[in-house]
Amino acid sequence: MLKKTEFKVGLFVVITSVLIVASIAYLAYSKGLFTREHTFTLSSTTGEDLSEGMPVLFSGYRIGRVGKLELNDKGILLITIRVPEPHDQWIRSNSTFSLYKPLIGSSRLIVTTNDLSSPSLSPGTIREITIINDINETIKKVQPTLEKINEVVTNIERITGNLADPQGDVNRILRNTETLTANLSKKETFIEMATGNPESAKSVNESLKKVKDILVKTDEQLYGDDGTLPLIRKILKDIIVKLEKLNAALDNVVKISADASDSTKDFKLLRAEIDSTVTSIAKLVKDLDKILPSKKEPEIKLP
Amino acid sequence: MISLDAPLISNLDAWINVALIKQYHENLPNKKAKSLVLHFLERYGMEHIADKRNAALTNKERFIVMLLRAVMVRNALIVLDRPFMIIPDIQDDRFIYDSLQLISDSFKECHIFDYKWFEDRYGIMNAEKN
Amino acid sequence: MTEFIEKIGKASMNATATFRDILFFAFTILARIFQKKTYNSAMKMVLVNQIYFTSVQILPLFTVLSIILGSLLIGIVLQIIKNLGLAEYLGRILMGLVVTEISPFVTVLLVALRSSSAMNAEIAVMKVNKELRTLDTYNIDVIDYLFVPRIINGVVSVLLLSALFSILALTSGMIFSKLIFGMSFDVYTNVLLKSADIYDIDIYLIKCCIFGFFITLIPIRSGLSASDDLTSIPIAVLQGMVKVFIAIIFIEVLSLILISL
Repeated sequence: MLKKTEFKVGLFVVITSVLIVASIAYLAYSKGLFTREHTFTLSSTTGEDLSEGMPVLFSGYRIGRVGKLELNDKGILLITIRVPEPHDQWIRSNSTFSLYKPLIGSSRLIVTTNDLSSPSLSPGTIREITIINDINETIKKVQPTLEKINEVVTNIERITGNLADPQGDVNRILRNTETLTANLSKKETFIEMATGNPESAKSVNESLKKVKDILVKTDEQLYGDDGTLPLIRKILKDIIVKLEKLNAALDNVVKISADASDSTKDFKLLRAEIDSTVTSIAKLVKDLDKILPSKKEPEIKLP
Repeated sequence: MISLDAPLISNLDAWINVALIKQYHENLPNKKAKSLVLHFLERYGMEHIADKRNAALTNKERFIVMLLRAVMVRNALIVLDRPFMIIPDIQDDRFIYDSLQLISDSFKECHIFDYKWFEDRYGIMNAEKN
Repeated sequence: MTEFIEKIGKASMNATATFRDILFFAFTILARIFQKKTYNSAMKMVLVNQIYFTSVQILPLFTVLSIILGSLLIGIVLQIIKNLGLAEYLGRILMGLVVTEISPFVTVLLVALRSSSAMNAEIAVMKVNKELRTLDTYNIDVIDYLFVPRIINGVVSVLLLSALFSILALTSGMIFSKLIFGMSFDVYTNVLLKSADIYDIDIYLIKCCIFGFFITLIPIRSGLSASDDLTSIPIAVLQGMVKVFIAIIFIEVLSLILISL
């Protein structure tokens, strides 16, 4: 009886213990706890966004992690990266190391190796890392476009202001012409009388008719279906749509960052969207610039 | 000490109750302890009670198990406390005496304490007053 | 009013005394566990028997329960995260919920219901029957012979059974997710491995040990508090089991706080 009990207990303890140890060992093995690690030292002037345990990626694949961060006697940050056995082959003497700070998600250290045949990086060498700041780059990209938009808007404001202003150039010309024609029509006989030449009076009249035609044409050019102002309006509408899109994209950024801090896939898609929107806005602004006269010549020249 | 005040452990088999002493104090392995107990039980022709528990034992069997437990102590000095309370169904000390005789090689001394009015059961007229 | 405050004061003092008493008892037992002389042949035999009664006897029921409960739990988790579109959290939910929370909890409840109550009654009966005094008569230390093996058994049983529950639940969950949701074994294993953390497993193992220690220590202490009267047995069992339940909740909360740190 006792023997049987002892055997059963022994069997139970052995089997469950083996199961537990095997599970933990498998987990440890999968996490790379048993593989030999190679350490490389990198340097950086700033430790901002660097943390222990941060992933080290090669071609988007995690090959290691940041092991230790410490300052040397010159105040330069030394970063020790740990790369397990088979992955150390991707780190060569010509490899470059960059700290990638994405808009969303945690920072990562990226290894780029162009020539895999070059000798492997010796552990004693200290390589400097470059910093790629995703958010700042995007902001930098948006900034000039926004400035340009601002410029165009000021320009349009000035033109429309000029057209609307009773003392503006266009209105002044139109008013003068009106007065002149009125006067001239009244004093046709007077010209004839003064010059004694009906031809002269006729030519003056023709000139005035021409002025009228030009005015109609100008009007058409400005306000017609294919006129400048509707075109500007169309482009501006387009810009508004693009800006709304940009706004929506930025809303998405906030949403995604709240949902999952390291959803890099979504983030990449979003970044591409922002980039293309910014590029298309820049193109539209260029078009507008072509249509509108430059800042230095705000007056519309009449023929 | 064989007394009703020191009962057998109810959730242990008879042989474990006996073997326990040597296992605990001398770290005697299970197997050896069991064979030792069985060897003693054989003297009484009671090997069959080895795996029985306290409640399943008769009064005599219980007394024997208690006695064997007491002799397991090294240089045992046996104290029988009112044995007729443990085995009320016997009328004289023959069973007690015979039981002690069978294991006389295992203890140095034996003292029996009982009420004065039981002295005739022990066949002594001038029993020591208790 | 004064009486009411007095009652509160008395209750607080009793609770403090119980807590202090259990802690003191725990330290005594712990000290004995690490003493070599505790481990004699008699004690080892008790330990083997205790593990047999607590773990081996319960094994068929426990295995079936683990498979059914594990499949059910993982099925529910899979369904919910599928509906909510949280597939990427599958690993974390399975490891965090099934492995580190549910499996020790179910195991400890089962062991407490079956073995702790039995131990409580057993010690109380031994006390009433004067069997503890017998051991004392023969110079057998009750702590070494009775308590230490039972408490070691508690630790070993809860640890092993809980691990077994986790392994069985996750394995049955793997088959379940393959059959019902068409999730391949590789994907399932990778999801689990990605979320498994050695630190969490350490906490889990420590938690199991603490659970096992207290769900056997408290009933033993409670059993000892029985008087020589037979009617004190049910009272001792009742009080012991309530204390065990409070201890389970207390340890669970503590471990949650520790994990979240």
